[in-house]
This record gives sequence, structure tokens and C-alpha cells, in this order.
Amino acid sequence: METKEVSRRNFLRVTGIAGTALCLGFYFPANAKQEELVTASGAADSEIEMNAWIRIDANGKVTLTDHRAEMGQGSYQSVPQIIAEELEVDLKDINVVFAQGDQAKYGSQITGGSSTIRGIYKKLLKLSATAREMLITAAATKWNVPGGECYAESGHVIHKPSGKKFNYGELVAVASKLPAPKEVKLKKISEYKLIRKPLQKLDTPLKTNGGAIFGLDKKLPGMLYAVVERNPRQRGKVKSFSDAAALKVPGVKHVFKVQMKVFNTIREGVAVVADSTWAAMQGRKVLHVEWDDSGFEHVNSADLFKRQEELLRKEEGLFAKKQGDPDKAIEQAAKKIDVIYQTPYQAHSAMEPLNCVAYYQSDKVEVWGPIQAPDWVQGGISTEFKIPKEKIIVNMTFLGGGFGRKAFLDYPLEAVTISKEIGKPVQVVWTREDDMTQGPFRAGISYRGQGAIENGEISALKFKMAGQNIDHWNSPKRDHANGSTTEGFLNPYFESIKNISFADVPFEMPLPNMWWRSVYASTNGFAYESFMNEMAVLAGQDQLDFRRRYLKDERCQRLIDKMEEVSGWKSRKKGDGFGVAITECFTSTVGQVVKVSRRADGKVKIDHVWAVMDCGWYVNPDIISAQVEGSIVMALGAATTHEITFKDGLTEQQNFYNYQMPRMSDMPLVEVHVMDNDADAGGVGEPGLPPFSPALTDAIFDLTGKRIRKLPFDMNAV
Amino acid sequence: MKKLAAITVILLIGSAIILSFKTETAKVNTTATLPKDSVGSVKAFISVYKVLMSARCMNCHPSGDVPLQGDDSHLHTMNVKRGADGHGMYSVRCSNCHQAENTRGLHMPPGNPKWGLPPANMRMVFQGRTPRELALQLLDPKQNGGRTKAQLIDHMANDALVGWAWHPGDGRTLPPLTRPAFAAQVRAWIAKGAYAPGADAK
Amino acid sequence: MITLNVNGQRHNVDADPNMPLLWAIRDILGLTGTKYGCGAAQCGACTVHLNGEAVRSCVTKVSRAAGQQIVTIEGLSVANDHPLQLAWNELNVPQCGYCQSGQLMSAAVLLRENPNPTDQDIDDAMSGNICRCGTYQRVRAAIHKAAAMQREGAKI
Repeated sequence: METKEVSRRNFLRVTGIAGTALCLGFYFPANAKQEELVTASGAADSEIEMNAWIRIDANGKVTLTDHRAEMGQGSYQSVPQIIAEELEVDLKDINVVFAQGDQAKYGSQITGGSSTIRGIYKKLLKLSATAREMLITAAATKWNVPGGECYAESGHVIHKPSGKKFNYGELVAVASKLPAPKEVKLKKISEYKLIRKPLQKLDTPLKTNGGAIFGLDKKLPGMLYAVVERNPRQRGKVKSFSDAAALKVPGVKHVFKVQMKVFNTIREGVAVVADSTWAAMQGRKVLHVEWDDSGFEHVNSADLFKRQEELLRKEEGLFAKKQGDPDKAIEQAAKKIDVIYQTPYQAHSAMEPLNCVAYYQSDKVEVWGPIQAPDWVQGGISTEFKIPKEKIIVNMTFLGGGFGRKAFLDYPLEAVTISKEIGKPVQVVWTREDDMTQGPFRAGISYRGQGAIENGEISALKFKMAGQNIDHWNSPKRDHANGSTTEGFLNPYFESIKNISFADVPFEMPLPNMWWRSVYASTNGFAYESFMNEMAVLAGQDQLDFRRRYLKDERCQRLIDKMEEVSGWKSRKKGDGFGVAITECFTSTVGQVVKVSRRADGKVKIDHVWAVMDCGWYVNPDIISAQVEGSIVMALGAATTHEITFKDGLTEQQNFYNYQMPRMSDMPLVEVHVMDNDADAGGVGEPGLPPFSPALTDAIFDLTGKRIRKLPFDMNAV
Repeated sequence: MKKLAAITVILLIGSAIILSFKTETAKVNTTATLPKDSVGSVKAFISVYKVLMSARCMNCHPSGDVPLQGDDSHLHTMNVKRGADGHGMYSVRCSNCHQAENTRGLHMPPGNPKWGLPPANMRMVFQGRTPRELALQLLDPKQNGGRTKAQLIDHMANDALVGWAWHPGDGRTLPPLTRPAFAAQVRAWIAKGAYAPGADAK
Repeated sequence: MITLNVNGQRHNVDADPNMPLLWAIRDILGLTGTKYGCGAAQCGACTVHLNGEAVRSCVTKVSRAAGQQIVTIEGLSVANDHPLQLAWNELNVPQCGYCQSGQLMSAAVLLRENPNPTDQDIDDAMSGNICRCGTYQRVRAAIHKAAAMQREGAKI
């Protein structure tokens, strides 16, 4: 198992190798809604540029092109696991290569929205089954027997009556000239041999011996290293700088000003280029830059949240969803609550800081890096540098974490800018401090929840949010509500609660912000599900039973049953604090039960987290468990320690010394259960995150009677 | 004469450089005694106590087995533990991060060749001790590493790791006395009879 | 010229003696398994063995490492078959994988010094290594697994 980079030349050759290899891929016609399945010979005939998703060569070696990034979420395993199933090959015989950025070939490549599997699994199943059928037909033709007498297994086609067999390599010459069958039969879930099995991941060996190549590990001959001193207030300008001291540092070659587009603003900085990362960093330390930070607000966090709260008290906002008349119901009710929740700004803080290698040449531009959206990067370079897309090659390495940040284009564009300036290949390295202070951040959002209980039932729910809107990167026009105002909130609630409204109160700040694992569900989920727990208390009901009454959808009912069963909900003891939450994210529903207790030293400890994931059709239950475990750790940090704050426009946290990550000794016991059903596949990488903080604070309420409505909070002080 | 003066100056500069990194105070006769003076002795100890209870000293003399960090003396992150020899455990040994000298920059690991806590069998706890408790503890060879009073003075006045407290690196507050002033107070405390403050002293 | 003995091989490198070992290993020797995560001895991604101790190479100057025995992740085993590596594979420990070199190098010191670590020992040894993907539960399980394999005679 080794990863190698596929050069563009290889790709072009693919279309011309019918007869020596069987290649199958999809063609994404620019103007068509539905992509077409194509074979290499078909592609050659019609002169279309196909992507070779699957390539089987004359030695029977299967090469799979992974169109999505591998950033820990498991595409490197789950995509081959799907293909091996219907193609009938052993996983160990599949070689995985990362696709280059090319939307025309691969369709959307943005690894975000937990979309890798749910977006394409049906196509991959069909593609692999098609290849298998073509190989079977080829064998049947060679043996001159009916195709129905043959079957495929472990990279071979076997003639059942005689026991004769061909390996796939022996069949590609014939198979590659066959037309692709229009219809193929796919396996039933009960027939799966690989899918739904907790198989060992293909990339683990590379990640235990230092062999996996991440962006920062990419080296080119003659490559220089650059670090950039960027304006610490993100959107200020360089007034002046002195390069004299930096240029005296041994190894430093160039010092110059760079400009980078960040959404609709320009970020300015000074680049120091040297022959090693260390030399560049040393040069930067002695750089003197004066900044012009006029013309925009220098934000203070305390003011920011105060303003949000004032807006929530004063303004009705823009409705995202409204049914019935919640105001009237609340006014009439005897039992009601009206509370504010707050969630902080967050940094992504992937373990691999941002970095990118670029080589700008007269006839082409090539970049290598930990990139979540290679097709967007290709498009971005094309637009910014006015170069046709076909002259831009974007290579994805392994990503040392992404969480949304590495879907942004600034750092590859910056690398290209610097390479163009120096005329050499360059690796731009962001220090941890750069990565943490520059953003874009997950926005901190405040919520107001109002609700009423009549006769033990919810008679009204009214939610408002106030926070920066990611959609306003390019257009700050506020004439409609944030499209994600209800994200995280379960749809079945709308069917059972008559009076309900969600509104977005416009709030702007000059802080760069963008998506962060599970996006708005990460903050909405805390507010909305905390509020449901508060409503349950107001109604005098058990939190799980309370949800059962309103989430009448059958999948939700089964999920709640499962939560109750696995957590021992009904047999919980006095002195234990139990809390729950259920959220929806990227079409998957996750419920969590958290148990806390007070230790002998008086501190509250998380004893156990039970997570139940309903993501419909799935590939590898162990990857799902891992993703939920990891989501919970990320949520634990966001709930109990992490808060990016601003003082006079400067980010106050720089590194892990003042942005403390959960560590081994903080790790609670996490138990993940995956619901078994054959509904359409949902997301896996993100949905495990949103329910954790409301479930945790609910458990603390259960233990202490104290309701936490502002994140982060100090676990040592509850 | 002129030449001699020049040489002296050079020597002084030379020794000053050494002092600033290592010992600060030249060796003195640590066995000197003064007439017993319980008031003066206690007063001197209270000054000593303030230094010992400052973050720079107390952080490595915690009440538990986790070192403290920062001017606010919070528990050392990373679940760092004392270990039997006082130098950490397994893959979290002090010298894995703390170098022989301070690593430059805010929040970077401070350093010294001997960086560590007192060992588990001689924990020398400062944190939480009253002046009286700490004075008695310091004087008790069973709790002070088997030191005589003279050795105690020498340790406080000349030990290189103790001396780090006055060169703690970027962003760390210094103890309330200079090292010579501190050493002088230690000597005065002991020379005047090494009295422990009363139980109600703060 | 500074002599660095890395994974049993001698290298004479022309580096600033103040350069952290991390950058010498990565940029000069080209051994990229050792990772840059924070540059401040906070995250453990850069952990290598210096005379058997799990030092953070981002704050360890090459001058300290000169002439000493250095082992990086590439030298932990010859065939990716240290009990920890086997256990890591069996339990699907890595997600993004970026911190895992450091996790393994720290765990290797723990297992060497304590062949039968408890959960508390694992907390004590492994809390210097941050994993943003949150693989801690699996790191813990895999250390227990490797300890069992080691007791059963797997080679180290």
C-alpha cells in the first residue's frame, strides 16, 4: 500500500489505454444535471475527458482515485471499501491515489458537509458493479460460455461449472473494449462482505511509520521556505517595513510585502523567504513592520457579546421559519422561560498548521498541500492569477486535520503569490500562532430562547440568533435570515409543536469567520437542545420521555429507545448526573447521554458518554465510532476550555498554552452505537459534535441544579 | 597601578557575567553567627518566606505531585507528574521540554540543567505552608534534604537551580527580593537564631 | 558541522547550533515523519528519542543533540512492527495521523519503562501529546494491547 501522486500526464494517458487497462469513471458534462458513467474506450471515442475512478491494469492491479481529501474522516478507507465490495477485489489489492483538483472531471471535490460518502456512494457502487460485470462478460466471451455461469471473487472471474478462473488482469484487454452495461444489479445489504464491517484502515500503516506525506512534508528540488508576518488585526494594511535585519539572518533570501484576498477584504503581510523553515522564522523575528489599522472596528469580545444580547432583547429579526403564533401563546402562558445562551468564537487548530507548496512557472502553476477543496483552489488560482484552469495542477496531500479551515483558499493563493514573486518553488508555513490568531474563526453566536408550557405540553417555542453570518463573506446584504438558522434542530419537532419560530437578528463584525466542524449545528445545537431540556424541567418531565412526545418520527423513536437502553437511563442512581441531547446534522441524527459525578476532591468528572448515531446506510462502523469519539473530544474542548477572544481587535490566544486542548487525562469513556437501517446514507464526520455540549450541561444540571448557558465553562468550577 | 586597576575592572566584569548567570553572590562565611534575636530572625524569615512562596520558587515545591505553572501557579498542564526522582515520568520527563537554559520567547519552556521538583521521598512542599511550618520544615534535616544550616544558606544563596528564579525568562515575574537581598535575609534569619515565626504569623 | 546520529546513521549537518532539532531532521535530513505542531513544547507532535528519552524536538537545539543517539518514528522499528505499531493498526488508532508519530514515540518510552501500564500510567505518560482528532480512547486501548503483545513475546 503506497500513495503516489498521479501526474496530469498519467491522467491524459488513461483515456488512451483501452486494451491495456480497464478504466471506469464518470464524466461530468458541464451543462448536465446527471453525470454519465464512461469507460476509457467510450471516452476516447467521444473525445471526452473522463476521470479514472477505477483503473485495473494488465497485472490485475486496481488503482482507485480518491476524489476527496483524507483529513482523518476516512475517505481513504471508506471509498475503497465501497468499491472493493461490488468490484469483488481484496482491499489489500487496491492502490489509492488522491485526485487532482478538477471539478469538470470529478464534480464537487469539497470535503465538507460530511458529504464524501453520502454524496457519491450510490455512484461508486454502480461504477464498481459495472466494472465487475464487464470483467465477467469478458471472461464468458473468452471461455465462450454463458455469462450467467460465471461469477467474480477476490479479483478473479470463475466459471462455476468447470472451476476455471481468470484473474482480472487477464481480462482487461477484452473487457476494456466492451460497452458498459446500462443496468447492473447491486448487492443487498445482507450480501455485503466488506461494507458494514469494521475493517482495518488502509492508511494506518502509513500513519504509524512516518510514511504518510502531509502538506508540510512535501519537498521539491530547489524549494525555499516562507513565513509571513500578517497583520495581527487581520484586515489592516502594511504602512511600512524594514527588511535590513531580516536579510542579515543567514539563509534568508527575500523579504517582500504580500497581499492576500480574504473574502471581500485584503489581508496584508510581509513574507520572509529562506532556505529553511527555521531561517525564515528567525528572519521574521527581526522584521519591523508598521501597520495601518484604520478604517475598521477593533473588536472587544465583551462588547461583542453584550451587543448580541441587546439585539436579541430588542429586535425581532428576520424569520427563518414561523408557524402558528408563538408570541401570543407565550403571552398567554402561565409557565414560561426566556433565556440567553452564548457560544464563543473558536479556532480550528488542526494539528497540521496551514501550509502549502506552490511552483509558479511561465506555462503552468502547480500546488501541493493539505487542501479540502482542490477544485475550488484550482478555480481560485485561475481567477486571481488569470490563468486557464488546465494550466493549474492542484495536488492533495494527506491533511493533518481540516475541520473546515482547509477548504479556504487563502493559504494556497498566498503560496502561489510568493512563488510567482521569487520564481522558485516555495513552501509557505504558518506557525501555530499564525494558524490560531488569523482565523477565519467559527463565529461566536448568542441565542434567545422563549418557550411556554400549557397542560404539560409545549405551547410555543421562539428562538432568535445573533451572530456573524458565513454567507456574508462576499455580500453583507441583510435582507433574509441566515439559511442555517434552524440547522441542528430536528425536523419532526416542527410537526408536533404548533407555535414555533426561528429568527436571525442581523449582526455584523469585521472578523473573518467560516465553517467549523458541524458548522451552525455546533452552536445552534447547544442552544436549542439545552432549551428543550429546560422545557422538560418546566413541564416536569423526564428529558428522554419529553423528546419522545415530540419526535414522533419512527427513526427518532428508535434512536431514543436505543439511548435509553444503552445508557441504563431508567436505572440511573442518585448522585449521578445524567443529561441528554439529540441533534440533526448533514442528514444524520445523533443522540448522546452524558453521565457526570462528583469526585472525592469535589470536582465534577465526566464518567461516560453514550452516543447513538443514525446515519442510514453506512460503510465502516469503526470509522463512525472513531468520528463520533473525535467529535466528542472536539466538543469537549469547545464546551469547557476553548474561546477565541479579541481585545482591541487582536486575537488573545496564540498557541496551545492559552488555548488548551483536551488531553489523554481529560478523555471520558465514549461508547458509540450505530443504528442499523437502510435509509440513504447521512454524514459521519461532523454530526457527532453538536449534541455533546447540551448533553453535558444537562448532566451537570441534573447533578448540581445549576444550568450552564454560556460556553465555555470551567469544569473545575461547577 | 593604572594597569592593575584595568585588570581589576576586567576581572570584575568577568565575574559579574558569571554571577549574573550562576551564583549572584560570592561565597561568604556561612557559619557566622550574631547574637540571638528572635524578633529580627523572624522578621528576616518572613522576607525569606515571601520569596519562597512566590511563583518562581513555589511552582516547583507544590503540595501535590503536579508542578505549578505561571504567575498564577496553576497546575502544570499535560498532567505532568513529579515521578520518583522529581524529574517527571515516562515520556513526560522535565528535560524533554525544559532545556539547560530558558527557551526564548513568551510561554516557552524555562530551563536549567537541574530542572525538576524535589524527589518523591523528600518533597519539600512550600505550597500551603504557613511561615512557621515552612521555617520548621526548612530547618529539619529530615525534611530539607539532610542539610545543615550552613548548607541551607549555601543552597539558597548559591544553588544554580534556585538562582533560576531570578532569571526566569520572558514574561515571568521575579521574586519580591533580589537574590543577594534574599540570601542576606536567609543568613540573618539563621545567624540570629533561626527562629520559626509564631503559629499566627502570615 | 554538527554530527547527528539518527536511526543508527551518522549525518554531518551544516546547521546553526541553535536550530531546533525538529527543523534539522525535517528540512536538512528530509525525515518528515517528525511533525511540527506548535513550536513551543505544547503538543508533542515533534517527539523523538534522544538517548532514549522522549524529547520535544521543536525546543531541543541541535547543539544538545550533537553526537547523541536520536531515534525518530522512521527508526522505531524496521518493518512497522513494533508492538505499538501493530496495535495501532489493529485498533485503527489514527484519524488524520499527524500527531501519531509523537504519540507512538511517547508510548514507546512508557512501554519500555513500564511493560504493564495502568490507565493512570497512560494518563501520566501520554498527556503531553495532543490529538485534535480525539483518538485518545484508542491510543489508550492500543497501548494496553501492545503491552499484552509485548508480554506475549512480540519483538520490540
